[in-house]
Amino acid sequence: MPSYTLTINAVKRTVSADPDTPLLWILRDTLGLTGTKYGCGKGICGTCTVHYNGNAVRSCALPITSVLEGNIVTIEGLSEKGNHSVQQAWMKLDVPQCGYCQSGQIMAAADLLSKNENPTDKDINVAMQGVLCRCGTYSRIRKAIHLAANKQNK
Amino acid sequence: MKSTLDRRTFVKLTASASGALIAGVYLQSCESEMIPAAIHEFSPLIKIDTDGWVTLIAKNPEIGQGIKTALPMIIAEELGADWDKVKVVQGDFDEAYEEQWAGGSYAIVLNWDLMRTAAAKVRHVLLQAASKKMNKKVSELSTIKGKVLHSKSGEAMPFETLLHEASKLPLPEEVEFKPTDSFEIVGKNTSQVDLQQLVTGKTKFSIDVKLPEMVYATVLKNPVFEGGVGSFDDTEARMVNGVIDIVELDNTAYGGRLLGANSPNFVNGIAVLANSTWSAFQGARKLEVVWDTSGTRKENTDGIFERFHSQLTNTTIERKDGDIHRARKAEASNFEAVYQVPFLAHIPMEPMNCTVDFRADLCEVWAPTQNPKALQEGLIKLFGLKPEQIKIHLPRIGGAFGRRYYVDYAMDTAILSKKIGKPVKLTWTREEDIQHDWYRPASVQKMVASLDESGMVTGWQHILANASRKTCLGREGRPAGTEIDEYEFPAGFVPDLQFEYGHVMSDVPLGQWRAVGLSATVFAIHSFLSELAILHNMDPIDYFLKFLGPARMVPVVGDYEFDAGRLIEVVQKVRHNSNWDIPLPKGQGRGFAATKLSGSFVAEVVTVSVDENENVTILRVDAVVDCGIVVNPSGAKAQVEGGILEGLSAALYGEVTVKNGAAEQSNFHDYRWIRMDEVPEIHVEFVANNLPPRGLGEPPLPPAAPALANAIFAASGKRIRKLPIL
Ligand code: FES
Ligand code: FES
Repeated sequence: MPSYTLTINAVKRTVSADPDTPLLWILRDTLGLTGTKYGCGKGICGTCTVHYNGNAVRSCALPITSVLEGNIVTIEGLSEKGNHSVQQAWMKLDVPQCGYCQSGQIMAAADLLSKNENPTDKDINVAMQGVLCRCGTYSRIRKAIHLAANKQNK
Repeated sequence: MKSTLDRRTFVKLTASASGALIAGVYLQSCESEMIPAAIHEFSPLIKIDTDGWVTLIAKNPEIGQGIKTALPMIIAEELGADWDKVKVVQGDFDEAYEEQWAGGSYAIVLNWDLMRTAAAKVRHVLLQAASKKMNKKVSELSTIKGKVLHSKSGEAMPFETLLHEASKLPLPEEVEFKPTDSFEIVGKNTSQVDLQQLVTGKTKFSIDVKLPEMVYATVLKNPVFEGGVGSFDDTEARMVNGVIDIVELDNTAYGGRLLGANSPNFVNGIAVLANSTWSAFQGARKLEVVWDTSGTRKENTDGIFERFHSQLTNTTIERKDGDIHRARKAEASNFEAVYQVPFLAHIPMEPMNCTVDFRADLCEVWAPTQNPKALQEGLIKLFGLKPEQIKIHLPRIGGAFGRRYYVDYAMDTAILSKKIGKPVKLTWTREEDIQHDWYRPASVQKMVASLDESGMVTGWQHILANASRKTCLGREGRPAGTEIDEYEFPAGFVPDLQFEYGHVMSDVPLGQWRAVGLSATVFAIHSFLSELAILHNMDPIDYFLKFLGPARMVPVVGDYEFDAGRLIEVVQKVRHNSNWDIPLPKGQGRGFAATKLSGSFVAEVVTVSVDENENVTILRVDAVVDCGIVVNPSGAKAQVEGGILEGLSAALYGEVTVKNGAAEQSNFHDYRWIRMDEVPEIHVEFVANNLPPRGLGEPPLPPAAPALANAIFAASGKRIRKLPIL
């Protein structure tokens, strides 16, 4: 099997894998970064969302060979101490229910706020619509994104 | 502080069934910290450390319902602990804990007294010890924030100073509970205990378990319900990098389709073992299988519903009050309507998975299960193990909704681990999850009402026909009390009343889905009541209140009475909160529904707009809930919002259809669920009272669908009698 070097959470990691292996499984099974979750494997649920070169992407739909050039950030690397404004807002509002989709939600929300300091409800709909929450935490997610935006802008 | 507690090794001196006093000493494993200390284990659930930290065991499976926070809150309250110095640890499966399962919204109902009793016993010995040391009367002492307080003098002693004395005292048999008006922890918004871990991705769900030497696996099952494996060619699958082995799973070699009366065994198929999940998935895709479908019914959805319809006239009577035929003759008019609901999948975000390390001496399991006892019984049945040879860990679960009441996926895993002699983590694909669910039963329901001149109901007939979750898997016989039973609303409210059940045998695997039977019956009951109101030009809420009559206890079955007053209160409150009596612009409408479930009362109003193309937008939902004391308002509100969104999602989109004996849906593209852009504003109010807390996971769900259908009628004049709507 060929080996590849990836930059994940600012650390270079070398792994051997088949070229079509999705990033999701490299993260979870090979590197033990299990904060990124499997939900559908088809790019439909957003549970596996990570950042690639500063954009939210679905790690289940990206073969390892497509993410060799840039920086990958997972939930484990979003902030050093769990103190990203989105994570703080999530804690303040006690957002998760089962919690399984929440890494994906947080990564999608962080991406939104990095590009749009003050998103409207419509912006939130567009950015978050791809991340399914089976438990129905959407109302708190919306509030938490507004809260994080207010904090960031202060 | 918390971390030092982790590093200490605790040595138990004695074991205890429930509530017996145990004092423990432990060895320091952290060299830098040489101060001798002791953890005192007062009960299986409560340990107090000499540094003042209280460790509480969260014994029930956490599926997102917040129980890992709520049960310890109850203990901490009764104990008088300081919540900021409480450490919560998830318990493994252990018979000593009692009632260790998640289902029927019963966790709080069953554990309220259990948790309070356990804590009150420990409080009792702490008070006794303090009384001695302080030389004060026990009756003048109380516990608060981790201290025993003598309020007259202001003198206080922290728990940790009383441990030595207290642990010598016997726990009392009888205890008195704290008055509810003195609560400090219960009733306060409390962030869930795993919050920090969850937002940083550190929580280990079952699907995240990794053990040394562990092999990864997945399964491919016969898509045709009740089929088997005919023959298969695994040449290509074995050529996939990382594939280790391919194993056929045949339940006939493991006791057949059932583990217990209401506990299905695994579905026949083929497992692929590999050195990563991805390789296992790839291997499964390369399998060439000829499935055996002999002896299966090869059903289609249309045919199933036709059979339901024809069973409406071939029923058993589940309840009979008075004589509906007398009512029918005497009354001014009769009205009937037929409603239909589909099969539904559970689709928890964490797909089915399990990890088993089947060793010679111990079968160790990490399972996302709502029902560890059924898992234990399954392993006993399949492998002839003794209970002491089984250890079940209960990691946090990524949603359950009833699916994980069944333990089929754990049986698969145990077989594989035993066979290969290594730990195995089995992960189902989402496709397998949707195609091999235990679906919410579809049903057809016929409602007939006899009405007097004023339009009020004097006769009520509710006939439900379906395939039952108690007879699927070839279990013949009359399934008593499954989808409609003698407790159904409005039993006790109408003099001439009859409930009937028409039973159909089917291969479709069926199970409990959040709110179980009421997820279907409340849709028919409340759609029908609103239809009756409109038929008589009455406001649906006015009509319903008139239907309920005065606030009183209504006898239903035996000692069981329905408190009409509590239902009336939530209805009146939701009427007010939703601005029900203020007219809406054209194209908008409000719908109402209510229910009682697991001891809780819920009333909901849904507001929608419907455009010329019949596009429905849900604008707002109002819910008022009376579940008695609200243990954790933050978690409780989340449960209500989640239940409402689940009810709305299912009503709008939820549907599994069957073709040639197999489910037609396979992933989130064809099993649609509500997304951020479709979520309405949701307003939730809890009725404040001091009644014992009741269930909350399920009660908010059933009214959502009929309230939505009634709102669509109000907005557009279009009556929905068949779900899903879109
Ligand atoms: S797992 Fe990647 S989008 Fe669902
Ligand atoms: S919190 Fe459970 S799926 Fe989102």
